[in-house]
Amino acid sequence: MSLDYEAVIGLEIHLQLNCATKMFCDCPNRPGDEPNQNTCPICLWLPGAIPKFGQEALEKATLTCLALNCDIQCESAFDQKVYYYPDLPKGFQLSQFHRPLALNGRLDIIGEDGAPKRLHIHKIHMEEDVAKLVHETEGRTPISLVDFNRAGTPLVEIVTEPDMRSRHDAMEFIRALRTQIRYVGSSECSMEQGTLRVDVNVSLRPRGSDQLNTKVEVKNMNSIRNVGDAIAYEINRQAACLKAGEAIVLHTRLWDSEKCVTTPMRCKFEGPCVPDPSVPQIVISDEWLTELQSRLPEMPGQKVERFVEQYGLIREQAVLMSSERELGEYFEAVVNEDVPPRAVAYWIATQLLPALKERSQTFNETPLTPARFASLLAMLERDEVNANSAKEVLSRLFDSDQTPEAIVERSGFRQVSDTVELELLVDQVLAANSSAADGFRNGKTKVIGFLIGQAMNASQGKANPKLIREILISRLS
Amino acid sequence: MELMHSDIFTHIDSSPPPLTAPGPLAGKSVAIQPNMSVRGWPTEAGSVALERFIALEDATVVKRLRAAGAKTMGSTHMSELGFGLAGDTAAQVLAEGHVDIALITDTMGEARVAASTIGVFGFKPSYGIVSRFGLIGLVPSMECFGIMANTLEDVATVMGMIVGSDDHDLSMPEFGPECELPDFSQVCETKEPVGAIGVVSESMDVLEPSESEAFSLALSRLEQAGLKIQELSIVDFDLFRTVHNVIGSVEASSSGGKYDGVRYGHRCTSAKNWNEMYLRSRGESFGLLVKTYMLQGAYFQFENYAAFENACRIRARLVRETEKLFNKADLLVFPTSRPGFDAATARTINEIYDAFSLTLLADVTGLPSLVLPGLVFDGDMDLGLQLVGPRLSDARLLSAALSLSHLSKGGK
Repeated sequence: MSLDYEAVIGLEIHLQLNCATKMFCDCPNRPGDEPNQNTCPICLWLPGAIPKFGQEALEKATLTCLALNCDIQCESAFDQKVYYYPDLPKGFQLSQFHRPLALNGRLDIIGEDGAPKRLHIHKIHMEEDVAKLVHETEGRTPISLVDFNRAGTPLVEIVTEPDMRSRHDAMEFIRALRTQIRYVGSSECSMEQGTLRVDVNVSLRPRGSDQLNTKVEVKNMNSIRNVGDAIAYEINRQAACLKAGEAIVLHTRLWDSEKCVTTPMRCKFEGPCVPDPSVPQIVISDEWLTELQSRLPEMPGQKVERFVEQYGLIREQAVLMSSERELGEYFEAVVNEDVPPRAVAYWIATQLLPALKERSQTFNETPLTPARFASLLAMLERDEVNANSAKEVLSRLFDSDQTPEAIVERSGFRQVSDTVELELLVDQVLAANSSAADGFRNGKTKVIGFLIGQAMNASQGKANPKLIREILISRLS
Repeated sequence: MELMHSDIFTHIDSSPPPLTAPGPLAGKSVAIQPNMSVRGWPTEAGSVALERFIALEDATVVKRLRAAGAKTMGSTHMSELGFGLAGDTAAQVLAEGHVDIALITDTMGEARVAASTIGVFGFKPSYGIVSRFGLIGLVPSMECFGIMANTLEDVATVMGMIVGSDDHDLSMPEFGPECELPDFSQVCETKEPVGAIGVVSESMDVLEPSESEAFSLALSRLEQAGLKIQELSIVDFDLFRTVHNVIGSVEASSSGGKYDGVRYGHRCTSAKNWNEMYLRSRGESFGLLVKTYMLQGAYFQFENYAAFENACRIRARLVRETEKLFNKADLLVFPTSRPGFDAATARTINEIYDAFSLTLLADVTGLPSLVLPGLVFDGDMDLGLQLVGPRLSDARLLSAALSLSHLSKGGK
């Protein structure tokens, strides 16, 4: 980007809430099922039906707002967002425009300069999703089919303040938001699967100015990286326009992830919003809100501090161990089995996470329970097995239901710490490698590594390397 | 039976009546309108836009009437989407004795004006005490099931059967000590003393001289019978009409948005693309009056939202002002029909509002209102004495009407 301009970026984020049912009827909230399976007169928007706003949607939406530090409004209401499109054949979408569920949220990220940066949320409101259009051909005739499985499924829309200045800010915001939401468990938050959809508003202004210029909306990104790329592209495109003296026009563009460009789609359309006469005003009592707040889990920010304080983790470890709720719970479950916390964090970060990823397992479903993982780490701690063997045992634990102790015993991984046995071994190694031993005595101390390696090989990896080193040094000096 | 007149019924229930139909409404026959859903019945709501639409579920009111032993005879012709009385035959089926009770949507006074034209009782309940589930309407914040019947007992019995909470209509208030559901079980046994009757003087200003004279005569008869007539004022009475018009048309524009002619209803076959198909189907479906009304509503939605917001504010104020009048009077009274303004032949928005100018107050405020025949005569035309009571006073309103009905000269 040109140095003359500063980008002003705001996000409009739709989250699909993981409720069991749709927002205004009891149909299953499973948009991916066979087309039009999950429908009823309410979500088909047939005449005579009256929407029935469900408690579960309100709970999950409110949890979402609490996770993003918003002020919950004790009274909110649904409006009809009036527009017509074949995927919305009732002619309006139920959405909270005039009186949203929550205002004034915030999330903290680490800015590009490494300093903490607070980003603000303008409002969060609930709305129903529209149906899905499927375009096909029947013979030679193009036809459009409407699948109502998605119609009426529960969404919240999160509208940020235009606080972001770079692709970094936007991407970090989405990551932080995803972490928070996954903690409260109200949405799967997957951009790839469309449960998290991000629209970006970008405008430019001369650096140092505080004006808000005409913005351009960009849609259709299906990964966080896409969002970053689309922002970068749009900033360059608008900067080029401004340089060429072209005016920026308010409109919507689509991100093309193959060509990595944005292309104009339509004028930005804002339909009118009128209060809906059939859905009653939503009133949230203090007691209900307090009850909901008491169900909030410890959030990542608090957890990081506690992990540093209580377990003496270094901050980077604490941040990683808090990045997912299940990971944090797993970490603590292992620590509770009396294994030193830093070792647990280290082994989770370097061994367990890659292993789970490779096997596409989650913390909840992996056969490597915290107890089994803990007994392995405890053996390591007691020098009953060395690190290399432990890694091998770890991978075997995924495919067997044996305890780590049994695997160590049966496969002969038990570390040899018997000094008499190890002294014998060292003597053999020194005899077979007398020139290296002489080298060490002549000051080439680096050969100690070679000698340890020889001893380990001779023990088939089972020797305690610490003891080997000690014995070698005492024999050679 | 001679009921097969397709000019008064759009659908006649051919299913055999239940062998035993016990219940408070056993033996009573009811006509409904084709905008009140009955599973399996054609439910076209008087509009080409709903051509071939068959309801999938029973309206709660229909379900409750049947459960109480009533026989649903069939559905009558109705105005398009219940807006006005053009082509409506609900009054006719009752007048001709085909049924004991006729249900008719009351959006701006239809149930009461239709009742007054045939000299029977017409009732519009407090908004929110009867489930709207299954009612295909146009103005959800005002319209409700209205009842026409030859006797007040029938009105009370029907009300007793259909009121109360419904899992299908969560827009109804929660009933309890704070918001007491009217109890219709003792309507006919209760003597409801009527002390003062309120007349809103601004409502008199709109009357033609002959209407005014007829109404004054009726008032003096009430006075002779020992009732106190209290002159009251709602300075902005003419705004009831404006508020109904603005809010009603905005809601109509939204409610009518779903009629696209794709899954049911008239569908234009010659369009070149989907946009044109929707435009032409809708253009060909709606009658002039409803089309004009919806277009007017769209104007407020898209071009003059501030006027709609003002109308909502004024509505809230009018509701407060009207409720306050009940500190000074037990009931408010108005004439009902207006001889010079025929609700059935109104062709413009203005004409239709002229015809309902005295009844739409109850729809705007959600108050209960009953029309009593045989008390207000302009020549030999019964204008209908309209009583309006406080919110949720429905049962007391019916008891009070019963105590006034001995003054009635009887229907035409």
